[in-house]
Amino acid sequence: MSASFFRLGWRQMDVQLRTRVLNLWTMALFFIQPAIFSIVGMILSHAAGNTSPDLVYTVIGGGIMGMWSGLVFTSTYDIRTDRREGTLELIVGSPTSLRRVEGFRTLLNILAGLSSMAFAVLAAVLIFGYDFSGVNVTGIVISMLFILFALWCMGLFLANLLAWSRLSGTFVDLLEMPMALLCGFMYPISILPPWLQKVSAVFPIRWGLEGLRESMLSATFTPHLFSRWLLALGISLAFLLLARWLDGKVHDHIRITGELHSI
Amino acid sequence: MMQKAAHIFRLYFYQAWYSYRSLFAWSTPFSYFTSKFGFPFFSMLMFVFMAKFAGLNDPAYIIIGNILLMPATNGIYGISMTVGNERQFGAMSYLLGSPAPRAPLFLGRAFFHILDGLVSVIIALPIALLIFKVNISQVHVFLLLCCLVILTITTTGLGFIMGSISLLSRDGWMFTNVIGQLLFILIGVNFAVSQLPRFLQPVSNFLPMTRVILATRQVLEGVGWSQISELLVGEILVGLVYILFGYTLFRIIERASMSTGSLDSI
Repeated sequence: MSASFFRLGWRQMDVQLRTRVLNLWTMALFFIQPAIFSIVGMILSHAAGNTSPDLVYTVIGGGIMGMWSGLVFTSTYDIRTDRREGTLELIVGSPTSLRRVEGFRTLLNILAGLSSMAFAVLAAVLIFGYDFSGVNVTGIVISMLFILFALWCMGLFLANLLAWSRLSGTFVDLLEMPMALLCGFMYPISILPPWLQKVSAVFPIRWGLEGLRESMLSATFTPHLFSRWLLALGISLAFLLLARWLDGKVHDHIRITGELHSI
Repeated sequence: MMQKAAHIFRLYFYQAWYSYRSLFAWSTPFSYFTSKFGFPFFSMLMFVFMAKFAGLNDPAYIIIGNILLMPATNGIYGISMTVGNERQFGAMSYLLGSPAPRAPLFLGRAFFHILDGLVSVIIALPIALLIFKVNISQVHVFLLLCCLVILTITTTGLGFIMGSISLLSRDGWMFTNVIGQLLFILIGVNFAVSQLPRFLQPVSNFLPMTRVILATRQVLEGVGWSQISELLVGEILVGLVYILFGYTLFRIIERASMSTGSLDSI
């Protein structure tokens, strides 16, 4: 069981990497777009008279943005691309569930997105001289795990949600930037108007990011940090449950109506 | 002579209308609005909050700059798509096989994008000016309109070039996106060109939109024709160079594809 499970995971991720992740478009999302936003942030900071930009938000925030953009443009299109390429029928007809296949694919999408984060951290360290003294390294690692889990749950949710309509591609423009805006990828959430801060509370990435920032700015574990992790975990699980419910609906719709190509 | 002119005229508008309707990849008003305003609107808000975090408390500069960049959605992304999708949808071979003159075929793709971009900015700019209570009593409206027309036309040059490049590479859309996003930095949208590092400032001078965005900002401050005429003339020249370069590139690619039969294999 476990050997076949890992073999399936390995094969799925291998194919996903080769066919849908390793292309110039995704590379631009991982590296170029975040770099452009980071440069805008730096020049704005310079224009405001600051001697140096805030590296945690302006540079490392760009890495988070790359992870999110990469996920949006790979996960939301996964089922749609299967339908277009004619592989959706083969997956649904095979004994392995679509849910499991999607789970591995989304995991690969997120792991690939980590390269954006690594690039941003490297840029912060090598170009801008960011040093890790006085940071909570364990807290950073745990926060990153919560962020990855949050992204995975949201990726699964989006893949199933957008499988319902052929117009799903148009929603992507309403997902990429608003999430960056609401979750404070490149500035603290306190910058937002209070009502927008309330809206952003429903996204687990916001809480994971708050934990990450707190760990980067302070070397101690505080109850406040634990509360961010708990919120990130709880809301991620809620998204996972929603994704499972949607996944069931997609499967039922396909099997009962035989309308695989019409979803 | 008259008949030939009428033929070219008709061909230009047929191409303009059909390419706008079928190749800009929107099928419902909702998808039109999301694809056209989704990314520009939310990225503008993102820059506003980034500026607020940096310590700049007046968002008007960024909002006006991003609104003036809106025609780029049509001029760059739209035109690039209408040229590039022609090949992707399998229609390019038929188009190149037809005896129709190339100039109206190629340049016709811009007409409705220019109109669409102009209407967008004409609607969005007054709304932003009202929201941010910008004093417009001194603004020369005709001059402002002139700037906006020039802005929407000169943007198309980059679209023609990127459209031609998308005939050469299957990753053309990626290059278009990168160029489009570099405009956030290079042409004075979110901050003045003078804020750029010294080595980047000359690059801005060679790009379309830099001068006309600066001129429009000055017109909004109440400046008259004499102070911006040089900027507008420069913008028109740069725009013409880009449009001609895009057209020439298209003709070169067309000829190369005829001799090698390679257009559909790239």
